[in-house]
This record gives sequence, C-alpha cells and structure tokens, in this order.
Amino acid sequence: MFKKLLILLFFIIPQCLFSQAQFVKDTLFTNGDSVVVSATRSERKLSNSTVPVTLINAQTIQQTGSIRLTDILKEQTGITMTSGFGAGVQLQGLNPDYTIILINGEPLVGRTAGVLDLNRIALGNIKKIEIVKGPSSSLYGSEAMAGVINIITDATSKIPLEASLRMGTYNTKDIILNNGLRSKSVFYQGFYNYYATDGYSIRPNSNNRITTPINRLSTSQQIKFNINDRTSILLNARLTDETIKSNITVSNGGVTINSNGNEHNTDANLNATLNYHFTPNLKTSFRSYLTNYISKQDLLTISGAPYNDLLNHLFKRIENQTDWTLRKNLNGIFGIGAVWEGVKSSRYDSDKLRKENTIQYGFTQWEWIPTNKLIIIGGIRFDKNASYASAWSPKLSMLYKLNASHKIRLSIGQGFKAPDFRQLYLDFTNAAAGNYSVFGSAQAQKVIGQLNSLGQIGGLYNNYYLLKALQPESSTGIHLSWEWTPTNKTFISTQLFRNDITNLIEVQQVGTYISGAQIFSYLNIGRAFTQGAEWEFKQNINNQLVLSGGYQYLITGDKDQIAEIKAGTVYTRNASNISTRLTMSDYIGLPNVSKHKAQLKINYSNDKGLFANFRIMYRSKWAVNNTNGNQVYDNGDDFAKSYYSLHSSMGKEFTNGIAVQIGADNINNYIDAIHLPNLAGRTYFINLKYQIKYKH
Amino acid sequence: MKKQLLKISFVVFSSLQIVACTKSETMTIPVVTVSTKVVKDLIADTVLGLTSSGMPYSAGKYTFYSLENNAIVPSTDSASAKWDLAFMSTRILTNGGTSGTALGGAFIYSGLFDDLKTISADSIFKTDNAPTYAITTGSGKGWYTYDQLTSLITPLAGRVLVIRTASGKFAKLEITSYYKGGVTLPVSASDVEKLTKQRYYNFRYTYQSNGSKVF
Repeated sequence: MFKKLLILLFFIIPQCLFSQAQFVKDTLFTNGDSVVVSATRSERKLSNSTVPVTLINAQTIQQTGSIRLTDILKEQTGITMTSGFGAGVQLQGLNPDYTIILINGEPLVGRTAGVLDLNRIALGNIKKIEIVKGPSSSLYGSEAMAGVINIITDATSKIPLEASLRMGTYNTKDIILNNGLRSKSVFYQGFYNYYATDGYSIRPNSNNRITTPINRLSTSQQIKFNINDRTSILLNARLTDETIKSNITVSNGGVTINSNGNEHNTDANLNATLNYHFTPNLKTSFRSYLTNYISKQDLLTISGAPYNDLLNHLFKRIENQTDWTLRKNLNGIFGIGAVWEGVKSSRYDSDKLRKENTIQYGFTQWEWIPTNKLIIIGGIRFDKNASYASAWSPKLSMLYKLNASHKIRLSIGQGFKAPDFRQLYLDFTNAAAGNYSVFGSAQAQKVIGQLNSLGQIGGLYNNYYLLKALQPESSTGIHLSWEWTPTNKTFISTQLFRNDITNLIEVQQVGTYISGAQIFSYLNIGRAFTQGAEWEFKQNINNQLVLSGGYQYLITGDKDQIAEIKAGTVYTRNASNISTRLTMSDYIGLPNVSKHKAQLKINYSNDKGLFANFRIMYRSKWAVNNTNGNQVYDNGDDFAKSYYSLHSSMGKEFTNGIAVQIGADNINNYIDAIHLPNLAGRTYFINLKYQIKYKH
Repeated sequence: MKKQLLKISFVVFSSLQIVACTKSETMTIPVVTVSTKVVKDLIADTVLGLTSSGMPYSAGKYTFYSLENNAIVPSTDSASAKWDLAFMSTRILTNGGTSGTALGGAFIYSGLFDDLKTISADSIFKTDNAPTYAITTGSGKGWYTYDQLTSLITPLAGRVLVIRTASGKFAKLEITSYYKGGVTLPVSASDVEKLTKQRYYNFRYTYQSNGSKVF
C-alpha cells in the first residue's frame, strides 16, 4: 500500500522542471556561523552567544535517522530520556517538569505528571533544534528552570516537494510529505506525517507490549507573507493526533487488573506573528498563540468496569517584543505578554469545570558590548500570576573572547516553575489502593474542612496547618564554560554548572480519614541541588571523517536529606538486613540520575552524497527504587544497571533527488524492560526519500 | 540513670551477675545478660492462591507468638496470656487492649536496635484500640513502607518495636524482612512471586525476662 503510494508520488512529480539536487556539505564547523535565537530571544551568531547553546541541524537529524524528538535528544551530551508517562527529557539531572519545550518559540502544553511526551514531536520538517541548559539562559517564564528546547521550522524552505517512506522493525512505518511554495513575497511550507508501529514486547513470555500499537498523524502548515520591506506576517498551524492502543496492567496491593482500550491524544497549535521594522534599529513583533491538548483514556477493565480519564489543557498567549539598537554596542529588548490557561480533568473535582489561571508578564534584556572581546547581557522577567505567588527571573551572562581560540562564558540566573494545575486542583481518591486521597493545595483546606464537618477526618497533621498558596519552585544556576578551538579542525569545550533549587513542591501527608487512609496535599518544602561538568569535543580527522563526543559528570542531592544524614537520623540496612546508620559516602542523591553519561560518534560523509555514522552512548547506573527501608536513595537501594547502546546509519543521496538510508539502532541489543521500557531491542530501518529542489 | 539502675537491681533475679566495680563506687552495677534471638520465616497469613479474577486469598488467621518461649502459640490459646504478639500480613497485635486479655502494649522507637539499651522512663506504651494499633499499621507510619510501583513491602530501617509482653515484661524487636528466606524480592520478580513469598516475618529480638527495661 505504502510502496504503491510512494511509486505514485514518483510518477506525479514533474521531475524535469527542476534542476538536480545540490549537496550541502556537512562539516561540523558550519555551526560556527549559525544563528541562534533561544539564548537571548533575539537572533545572535552562535559564536557571539553569551550562554552555550547546543545546536542540532537538519542534516544531523537526517543522518542519524531520527524521526521523533526523543531520537535525537538522547544522543546529546548531558541529556537523558526518562520513561513513565511518555518520553520526557532530563537536563542536568532535573526532571522533565523543569524543561520548557518550544516550537518556534511557543510553548507546548499537555503534561502528564509533569512529563511532556516528546514522541509527539515529529522531526520531518525541522530546520534546527536549539538547546539551552540552565536557568540563567532565558526569559521564557515558567518551566525554563532546567533549560529550554526550541524546535525551529522554516517557512522559507527551498524544497518544493519531498516525500519519504521509512519501514522498520515492529512493522514501524513513517511516511513524510513536505511541500513548499514560494514567490517573491509569499512562502509556504506544508508537512504531513503518518507514523504507525505495532509496538514491541521485550518481556520474555509475555504478551504485555511495552510500547503499545500507535497510530499518529501530524501536520504542520506554515505561511510567511512579506508584505513590504518593513512588514511580515507568519502563520503557523500544527496538529498531532495519536491513537494508542492500551493494554494496561495495574498492580495495586498485589491485585492485578487488566484494562483494554484506547488512549487518544490531540495536540493543536496555532500561532500568528506580525513583524514590523520601524527603522533598521527598531523592530517589534506581535505574537498570538493558541494551543489545546486533549488526552482521553477510554479503558475497560477485565471486570467490565469502565475507566475514563480526560485531560484538556487550553493555553492562549499574546506577546509583544520590541528590539531596539540604541547604539552599535548597546541594544535592548522589551516584552510584555499575557497568558490565559485552563485545564479540565477528570482527576479534579469535576471534569466539566475548567480550572483557570492568568499570567501577565514583562521582561527586558540589555546587551552591552564594551569591547570587541566582551559581551555582557543582563535581563529580568516578572510573572504575575492569579493563582499562585508571582516570580522574578533575573539573569546576567557574559562572553569573553580571550583570543581567537579561547572563549569564556559565565552566566548566573534564576528560573522558576509555576505550580501546575495538578498541584493546585487535584481531587483524586484511589479506590483501588486503600482509598488514599490527594487534594491540590488550592482547595485542600476547603475540601478537608468539609470532610471534617461530615465527621470523616480521623486526624490532621501539622502539615495541614502549613498549607498556603504555593510558591513557584525556583532555581538559581551558575554556569561557567570554556571553549577552545586550538585549530580550525578541533573544538573542545568544558562546562561547569551548579543549580540550587528551593521551594520544591512535594506531596506530603496532611491528615488521615477515620478509616486510617491517608490524605495528601502539596507543600513547598524541598531543597535540592545538581552540579557537574560537561566536556565536548569535535575533531575533523580529514575532509570526510569527523569524530565527536561528550561526557557529563553529575552529582545531585536533596539538601534536607543530607542534613538528616549528617545528624545521624537516617538508617539503612547492611547485607544481613540489620539496620545501620547511613553515612554520606553511601548517599546517592536524586533518583533516576546517572553520575556518568558519555557518547562518542564518528561521521563520514563525502561530496558524492554518501554518508555513514557510528554512535555509541553510555549511561552509568541510576537509582530507581527505595528498597532498603529508608526514604533516601543510597547504595543499598535498587539500581538500574549501567548500559551502552550502539547505533549506526548509512545512506546515499543521488543527484536525481533520490536518497536511500539504512540504519540499525541498539545494535548490541541491550534490553532492560523494567527500567528502560522505551529502549526496544535491536531494530532496523530503511528509508527512501525523494526530493526536488529549486534552482537557485 | 543511676536511680533507675538501682531500682532495677531489686527486681533482677536469676540472670543477675556481679561484675567488678571500682572502689569509688558505692553500689553494685548489675549487668543483665540477655540473648538476642533470631526468628526466620514466621508465617503470617501467607497467600494461599489467586482467585480466578486474580485476587489473592488467604486463611485470614493470625499467627500467635510467645517471645518468652520463642515459639508459636496455638490459636486456641488466643484468649490467654500465653502469646505476646500476633501476626497477620502487615498487622501486628499486642496482647492487650482490644486485641487480648493480657498486659501487652508497644511503641516504635526510632534508632538502632543495639543503641536501645534502656527503655527510657518517660516512654509511653500504646495499647491496641482497633482500628488503631500500638504497632501502627500503614505504609511509612509504623514498621514498613509499601511501594505502590513495585508492590514490595520493606521494613523501615532504624525502627525498633519496643514490646510490653503479655506478662508485663519487656522486649525489643527489629523486623529484618517480610519475605521468605529473609531476602526482599527484586523489583523485577513476578507479581505471583511477590504475593506468595511475602508475609514471612524475619526478625530478631531481645527479651528481658527479669521485668526490667534494660537490655
């Protein structure tokens, strides 16, 4: 069927109209002059950015055979993919909740338990991905605490038509159609993607598929009008619609319940931007954005009882940003905006009622270039929230070019994460596991008060009286980096970072029912830190061969736990299960964080369109479960084993626009079904692509 | 402290020993020898099987235990003072209050088993008052935690059950495992294994037969 479609496409394409494809020679150093926007909310050359930015271009995405955002992120230094509620991203040891995901500068919404499933994002029309780590990076507001991942598409693509078909293990199909139209003043890019997989079962003797069958349709439409020299309008629309067949096994108290049904997720984004240049030195842009994420689970348990779960997150934003170049060496940015968001969920008191929040914000940022060796950027953002306390996010960063081959970057800043709707409004009683309840902090006192007047409350803990309006979680980060390019073929960078997080929102018991069942709510109580170092290098061995790699060393900790351990009130068990006092040397820190992570890649590409690469990723062990009877993670707990995985891909682009690529992932067939459910065993793929390019 | 020891010296019987004391001390310091006993795989209403709908079932019966005799007491003696503790899944009864006819009670001490040498005078022993118990039930509240993701029950480290026995004497007890063979199952164990190998109490305890609060 799909092959037929592809063949059909080949025939209907009037090949003769267009010239032959031009090869873009990929050298890793083309990044040197690339323009990035995420670090400073304005276009800057990567080499002049005051904070380190990881830039992934379309060629890298293609040559590694990446089709979803998760595929390419997991190959970056210092980034770990998490599993559970989809594939989330862990930056510098911080959970997925703390990284904001942007598409063309606009945030994606629709998180489950704080995780935004990055499998939702198809890469077939991506121009580049920018990653900025640390809170000192940006002025993006809530969630930009661990970092920012900005996915950038391009309306002015030079490709009028591109079609590709990929087939892989587990009956995985990925079909992409990209089309572009351009005139002098109008640019259009359309993207269509169909993805389907049967899922896979990597548990021996089990029919329980880890990744369940998925059907996913994505489209993105982008139009840019250059109305005149001063004015342009950009319209973006994006839609992802997925159906996941669910066969869920829930174990509670040893009771296993099987449920069957579908999960249906829709993610829609609409964005209109008006850009206007008053003068070459003064420009402004108005952005409006609407996004809606709807997730529905319709399951039937084995006993016939329905299980329905609904999440509907609507987010609207308007923003104005003005860029003003005062003098050649001084320019400023001013922005104001307003957000309205609302969430309906069956886990709140009523899924008919939308819980709402409004945010008004303003930010400014100044860039000063006192000498040609030094760039200093300072900025601040203020977010005024209706439903929880307001937040300031200041930042200061600088770049010092010691000489042609040494650059030093230093940045300090604060980021925050607003309490999410779940932490404010959850109203959930788990009938399947002892009837414990979790109430969002915004209404816990009211709900528990009502229960109390009905005589259902057995006792209230001190935490109940401490409940108050939640503060945003806040992080202060400091990053120091040194970039060294000893020759034009070698690049080495070293980064040191430390993030201190306060006001972490944690679930705490606030009381009990008469029956003894627990009642929980959310309080700002935690304090934690993450710190470490990152090294990255690239070496052009010759014109065709590039070796690159990276390593991250990371340590994390919960400051309150450390204080308790030092006070001698934390216990663990020795090999014969006898309790002993825990010492700091056995303390691990935060769970799901690996101390060491490394990757090494070798890329070959020649001017005849042939390319091949070989990549190896390593991740050291990480703590997953508290199994030795204390509430902290230590050496006696349950760990996921360290592992490495090998990946390779090769392909050829022919001059007539046809490209063929084959690849294999997880060649060493590493499987850990419990801790790495997203890592299938060894898989293969073949990709065929046909591309037409305009004459220049 | 000295006062307490003095008081204890009067009630100490057979196991009393006199050890060397320096001339400067005017009293004898009694050192009580007590031995620590280890109990392995005491069954506590183990799961007998799964129903057709996957629900585990068991007999629903307590295992009665005498710390004094270090032996199981037949359930026919449940209304007597012959038992000190009764175990059924994660619930542990003391022989008193709503659970029994004797003097039993308990509280949970945070710290190390070996560090608990004397039960302090201001300690308050609770008695069972169903549905609340001297040895608090529930994850994280008494002697264990239950992890909903792994379905595993882990005894809290650094918790000692301080027991007042049926006859009003004292014991300290540390639970080391809830699983057969004293080995907590790995997270990856099957659900069936997790169900059928649990409810096996492994613990060590020290019983002070002389009625003192010193171990």
